[in-house]
Amino acid sequence: MSDAGDPHRFEEVEWDDLDGSRQLLTPTRAAVLVGLVVVGCVYALETVGIDVTGRTFDRLDWVMLLGTVVLGSVGLVPAVRHRPLLIRLLRRLFARPAHAAGAAFLLGLSLVAVLGSVVLGSPDLAFQHRFHAPYGFTSVNGWHAECLGEITEGEGITRYCDGTAAYPLGTNQRGHPMGHLLVEGARVTLTVLVFTAAFVVPVATVVGIIAGFRGGVVDDLLMSYVDVQLCIPAIVVFFIGYMYWNVSLLLLLVTFGLLSWGGIARLVRSETLQRREDGYVLVARSLGASRSYIAKRHIVPNITNTLVPAIFHLLALLVLVEAGVAFLGFHHIELYSWGSTMQEGLDPHFSGIGLEMHPHEIWWVSTFPAIALTLTLASLKLVGDGVRDALDPRDDH
Amino acid sequence: MTERTAGHEEGETPREDESALLEVENLETHFPITEGWLRRETGRVRAVDGVSFELRPGEAFGLVGESGSGKTTTAHSILRLEAATGGKIRFDGERVTELTGADLRRFRRRVQLVVQDPNDAFNPRMTVGEAVAEPLALHGMDDGDRRRAIVADLLERVGLEAADADRFPHEFSGGQKQRISIARALVCNPDLIVADEPTSALDGRIKSDILALLDELRREFDIAVLCISHDIDVIRRFCDRVGVMYLGKLVEKGVTSEVLESPAHPYTRVLLGSVPSLDPSDREFVRPLTETVPDPADPPSGCRFHTRCPELIPPSDVALSRECWRTIARFRFAVEDGQLPESVAVETDESSVDESTVRVAFDLPSTIPDETVDRAVDDAIRSLSDGDLEAARARLAEAFPTVCERAEPNTGDERERSVRCHRYDSSVEAAPRSWMR
Repeated sequence: MSDAGDPHRFEEVEWDDLDGSRQLLTPTRAAVLVGLVVVGCVYALETVGIDVTGRTFDRLDWVMLLGTVVLGSVGLVPAVRHRPLLIRLLRRLFARPAHAAGAAFLLGLSLVAVLGSVVLGSPDLAFQHRFHAPYGFTSVNGWHAECLGEITEGEGITRYCDGTAAYPLGTNQRGHPMGHLLVEGARVTLTVLVFTAAFVVPVATVVGIIAGFRGGVVDDLLMSYVDVQLCIPAIVVFFIGYMYWNVSLLLLLVTFGLLSWGGIARLVRSETLQRREDGYVLVARSLGASRSYIAKRHIVPNITNTLVPAIFHLLALLVLVEAGVAFLGFHHIELYSWGSTMQEGLDPHFSGIGLEMHPHEIWWVSTFPAIALTLTLASLKLVGDGVRDALDPRDDH
Repeated sequence: MTERTAGHEEGETPREDESALLEVENLETHFPITEGWLRRETGRVRAVDGVSFELRPGEAFGLVGESGSGKTTTAHSILRLEAATGGKIRFDGERVTELTGADLRRFRRRVQLVVQDPNDAFNPRMTVGEAVAEPLALHGMDDGDRRRAIVADLLERVGLEAADADRFPHEFSGGQKQRISIARALVCNPDLIVADEPTSALDGRIKSDILALLDELRREFDIAVLCISHDIDVIRRFCDRVGVMYLGKLVEKGVTSEVLESPAHPYTRVLLGSVPSLDPSDREFVRPLTETVPDPADPPSGCRFHTRCPELIPPSDVALSRECWRTIARFRFAVEDGQLPESVAVETDESSVDESTVRVAFDLPSTIPDETVDRAVDDAIRSLSDGDLEAARARLAEAFPTVCERAEPNTGDERERSVRCHRYDSSVEAAPRSWMR
């Protein structure tokens, strides 16, 4: 054939000139390293008493920082490196209105959770303004020491206090604006999502892939462990922890998060088993590809049809569990979870304010967090389906 | 090449042909059957059990046999996808199982695989361009633009368009996918392509196209091909030499035209007979005694084909017509296998199968010219009608000892043609039957 020496013909490749050495420092690994070093440095400085950030971190904050490092390096760095792929994915995700709405809501939720308390600040307790109705609605005058709006007359001696723009969504029994409580709830929810995505999902996926790929004794051991773990009720472990240690969101995340990945691991394992004998895996193995390469390039991308909805389902489940546990009252008193806010609105007697009222008279306290929670769960479900469809090249719509 | 070879051969007999590219010597790949938590070995599946052949550069060698004969396992063992449990595989003089590091990488580059089903040959989530470029990337070509250029050029040369690189596998037909599969195998400029049933998922004309493409590329780039197929036709059209496999053993090998024109081993004849023939009188001649392939976890003793062999060698003191002997042999191995026709099924206790029913079912004559044989068959039929399968088995096994069951046939050492059958062993008193077609 013509033009010998053309570097763009396969038979002209001088294989001995290509070193074939593996890059040890990939961008992802570099990002993990940098992130860990930064967090480590801040942690070291904070522990010796040098304040660099201007705020104090508790244990949960450190865990969240680690989670952000993990998500940023494993999720964000590859996404930026493969921009065309990301753009294609986003375009497909936003092609359907329902999926787009879900994604937009989750995006808004994250922004509000991160920036909300910075922008809105943290209002003080204002018992004199408690139970103000949302703008455009009224509450019974006299529940609060000071009515900011117009006072209208009702039957007999009853007077009504109009909601005002000062508290557009009303206030609860402590005089906290509902907007602030929703933002705080969003922060709790985002914490749950980040923790699950950064620590629980990778564990489930890696365990499932190792079990499916290696088979044999490794598979038996891992799956027996998963069986045992699935038998341990997380709520019992949580309550045991609750009795002996300080109650905290971290305790809830650790007990529920780390006891709930068994189902996903099983799913990943069975999908891996199905795929590991496929032709392209055989070819990759015959080319000398490592197990981790095959898992990353060939197994994981091909199990997204089941894995992605399962992950989003787990995320939704844990958000709901957190709200439920907070609703029952087993939450940290300073964290205004949507669940605890709803409980306060539904049971005014319990809130200990000595007033006689029906829950429907202060409907805004329970309704707004309930709407936020519902929208979050629905969005997670929708985005799960949307991401699955967007990742599948065969599904054109 | 000789210096390189030297280190790998300690006290082995010098090889006959120094120019062989791939040599497989007594390859054994057994899979353990394990039980329980501790993975105690309770048996072994002898998927490949002593296979020897060699390939010269640029040669096409075919492995043919029924499914379950160990063809694919042989290929996978050569590629180190399955661990060989015995024997030697040499590629370019080097022991494949001992390669490490850069040598192993070079081997993995020089030997490529084309898998059977074009539908699962490609990762559905990778574009065709990425799939074809994958070997380049895996072998250290970091320059993405160069990879893309090579792939575009190569796709055009296998009959596709350069723009196809950005499409996904599901957008292509089976034949196109197989072309892409060949492109992927070619992209590292290999010396050997292992093609596992390259055309079994394709039909007629497309099959010919793919074979022609493979053949053309083989000649142009001087690539040896190990072609695995159950399809005699593919072997006939594509391979220079052929090996016939049965239950993990290579029963016959030789130049394709010779083996297919005048097959020597009874199994090869059966295999050729399974291809529909226009002349119905041929059929009876090449039918195996029984249709069931024995379990490779428990293969028959002696010659592995003896339980189905239409040319089973009778004991020297038995003088019967060929037809009659074959009927009796069929009866014996059907009883041994427990593969009884429905009318003679003896599982139930109250079975009182009529002796004549048994004779009818197996087509046995009422009297057999040879007296000892006649008595044995009578006894066996009686045991059968009593429902005692074991006794019938024992009686028949004792009455008809055959060299095929007792001893494993040797294979001649000639490289060009070898047949693993007692009929071709001069020490056994049985002449090979002539082949007529």
